[in-house]
Amino acid sequence: MSTEKSVSREIESDLIKPPGFLGLRMDRQKVIRAFFSTCATVTIITLVLIMWSLISEGPIKVGKAFGFLPYPTLKGGFLDTYRHELSVYRKAGLEFCDHVQKPLTEHEELLSRLKRALGADLNTVSKPSRDRRDAALLAKTHVEEKAALQREALEEALEKTEPATPPEKIAELRKSVTDATHIAVATETISDIFNKEEKEKLIAELNSLQPDQEDFPPFIQSLLAESAKKDAEAKEKFAAFVSAVDEFEAASEPVVEVHDSMKELALATKEKAVQQHMAEDARTQLLEAAATAKTPEQKAAFEKDAAETDTTEIDYKSAIEPIVAKLPDYEKLVQPYIEAIKKASAALPAKPETKEAHDLMEHFRKDFPKHLKTVEASVPRMKEWSWEKPVPMTQALTSFLFGGDWITNSSWQDFYGVLPLLTGSLVIALTALVIALPFSVGAAIYVNQFASLREQEIVKPLIEFIQAIPSVVLGFIGISVLGDLIKSTSGIPWLSWIPGFPVQERLNMFNAGVLLALMAIPTMFSLAEDAINNVPRAFSEASEALGATKLQTVFRVIVPASISGILAAMLLGLGRIVGETMVVLLVAGNRIAIPDFSDGIGTVFQPAHTLTGIIAQELGEVSRGSSHWQALFMVGILLFIISLFINWASRLVVKKFQLPKI
Amino acid sequence: MKSTIITSLLAIAMTAGLQAQSVLRIRGSDTLGAKLVPQWAEGFKKQGGSVSFDIAAEGSTTAFTNLSAGTAEIGMSSRKVKDDERTFAKTKGVFLQEYNVAWDMIAVVVNKSNPVQTLTKKQVAGIFTGAIKDWSEVGGTPGPISVYTRNTSSGTYKDWQTLAMGGKDYASSSQKMAGNEQIAQEVASNKNGIGYVGYAYIKAKGIKVAEVDGHAPSVESVKKYPYSRPTFLYVNGKPDGNIKAFIDFVQSPAGDKISEVVGFIPVSQVK
Repeated sequence: MSTEKSVSREIESDLIKPPGFLGLRMDRQKVIRAFFSTCATVTIITLVLIMWSLISEGPIKVGKAFGFLPYPTLKGGFLDTYRHELSVYRKAGLEFCDHVQKPLTEHEELLSRLKRALGADLNTVSKPSRDRRDAALLAKTHVEEKAALQREALEEALEKTEPATPPEKIAELRKSVTDATHIAVATETISDIFNKEEKEKLIAELNSLQPDQEDFPPFIQSLLAESAKKDAEAKEKFAAFVSAVDEFEAASEPVVEVHDSMKELALATKEKAVQQHMAEDARTQLLEAAATAKTPEQKAAFEKDAAETDTTEIDYKSAIEPIVAKLPDYEKLVQPYIEAIKKASAALPAKPETKEAHDLMEHFRKDFPKHLKTVEASVPRMKEWSWEKPVPMTQALTSFLFGGDWITNSSWQDFYGVLPLLTGSLVIALTALVIALPFSVGAAIYVNQFASLREQEIVKPLIEFIQAIPSVVLGFIGISVLGDLIKSTSGIPWLSWIPGFPVQERLNMFNAGVLLALMAIPTMFSLAEDAINNVPRAFSEASEALGATKLQTVFRVIVPASISGILAAMLLGLGRIVGETMVVLLVAGNRIAIPDFSDGIGTVFQPAHTLTGIIAQELGEVSRGSSHWQALFMVGILLFIISLFINWASRLVVKKFQLPKI
Repeated sequence: MKSTIITSLLAIAMTAGLQAQSVLRIRGSDTLGAKLVPQWAEGFKKQGGSVSFDIAAEGSTTAFTNLSAGTAEIGMSSRKVKDDERTFAKTKGVFLQEYNVAWDMIAVVVNKSNPVQTLTKKQVAGIFTGAIKDWSEVGGTPGPISVYTRNTSSGTYKDWQTLAMGGKDYASSSQKMAGNEQIAQEVASNKNGIGYVGYAYIKAKGIKVAEVDGHAPSVESVKKYPYSRPTFLYVNGKPDGNIKAFIDFVQSPAGDKISEVVGFIPVSQVK
């Protein structure tokens, strides 16, 4: 077949002179074909290069084998570097210390809960007087701030001794302070906590404020004393509670001491290991620089530096011994600690006064047995622990994929666990999808099926126009408008039944989700509208001929017929949402932690960080080739895989729900 | 006609070429680069220095990467250069020279309506490591504490870890903000917020400075205040020409005056 064709072409070219194109003796058709095929090839090559660069900066290191030809190796790639770091983490004994750290962190959390419960109870007695004190102090600060200029001038004049400011000048300045203070007091609204008489007293005292007055004026002093007295009273009333909390707090002190002494040793070893690793790196770099040096002197200097670098191996065995030797100390402390906290928690009041305290205590009692278990389990775990146990390559990978900590630039240990970022990305994407889906599909159905031609001409371009808004601009809207709107709305008392309300942070996943939904709507709308448009006319005509109404036709015939396209639109919209960076970076709140899902749907009002956001925020600033740098490329690869998966799924969906060919 | 176009093009190209020679590219710390260094640049130009400046502030680490790559003449940093950064620069033929140009203080800021006036060092560490989660634990109005920090590449992020937190890690609930301004903005909008900013930013709207162990950050307390730190400029080797002139200007009384106005503490006042 093909030979036939080429033969016929040859004959053709022999017989007829091909028309010239731009002076070339070439067929115009051929040129155009070549142009398009080149475009396609270049596109594919670019894609392959992008993938290659992602992979070669991340998990795989490109070395030089034959002159310039690169060859990939796992050594020096992310997994290898991370494994090395994890093995230093183990060998230096940091991991050993973290077995003690875990119960200590839990202790801190429990303690924090107890303190909050105690605070809530103490508040019942001390809050009114404290509020009065705070209101008076706040008014005083306001007044002083408003008269700050005059006060500063006077202060300066008073401080000047050589030559001293003349008294008349000081008197003048004093007068200006008084005047400014009077104006400030007049514009200050005094809180209604105080009765009329008290208000007058306070205003009189505020009016007489002078910068060199050291003590508080008498009325404010009485408020301070009253508040202190009430505080003492509150502590008296809840004395048992207070002492129980204090006991609970003190219980961990000896453990903390042992832990700190262990940590110090471990960190010193780690520091040495890092130094040694750096020295090795520096030596290779210096040797490379020497090999390419321009002048002999430079070369000699580099070589001398390289020879002087100290790269003696670290004796981990003798470094770890003193740390492990502290295990008996810790073991001895465990039982007394458990007894102490048990005693303290038994001394806690069974029925706290306030509901808030009650809830916190419930929470405390639920987590307390878990804490006891962790403490008890820590000793056998530490006994099992061995510094020599190797860290396998797979552990580096699993701790990247399933690790719950993304801690960078730490002075203790860097961890690159991607889970907090992944959950952040997914929760935001789902929120955006849930918001965008009804709007975009609804609009598509309306525009295609119900709208008049004129409406179509207006609505369609308008929706598609949203795409023209730069994402940075949307981010600004999220920070300045939407965030405040969400926060103030959530503060409305009768809306407090909504989970997650009132909202604590104005930058949160919901905020980002709303904006991302806005960005995804045009894509999803256009694709869904196309899908509906592609339903053969015969379908609707047949349906209407059977006597179905317009609504019946739309929902029973047209939408089911175009469901594959609508689902594909949804998935491609999701792809757009997952990959978006600017908005999430500006608006999502950038908190690197797995969201607390105990809030249910209210979880979306927590801040989060995302896969794209972390790359944008950190890549510009880490040093090239470090494990942190490589970890960010791993995140890039993960994003790439997610996008690939979404695209693959959308193709699958289109195929599965495709209409039978008529 | 044609010749005039060509000559004018040539003229433009030549002036561009001349300008390219007298551009000082400055890269690095956001703390220095947001206000202080641009002001120094202005002051330097006013004094008759015929230089144009190209300043980008994206974190102290970028100072050293740019200096090593030769894409900057001057690096600004709010921390000292690390050993590995120095070695890396050396292999690229860049020998870092350090100048201590001003002192900065990191202030703990809370929302204006927060009744908490003073915190202890231990409390500050507790708040930023996440051990203390509620304002009632430090004598404030009950409510969960929202912790705002700088992003991980910032020199201030690292300095704060060493100065205030004893090297411990930040609470996982902390939110990482792009710059001082953003921290001030978020703390101002959240009554339970707490964050830290450079001394130059303490006058921002809606926030107030919390005293630490009874010391508020000020010029007089620079040695007593627990979170004071020096800031640096770095150049390659012994500076000459415009670079030297600029460094000299920065260290002159006129430069000191500018640092004071912007909200830094001149080196001359610390000693």
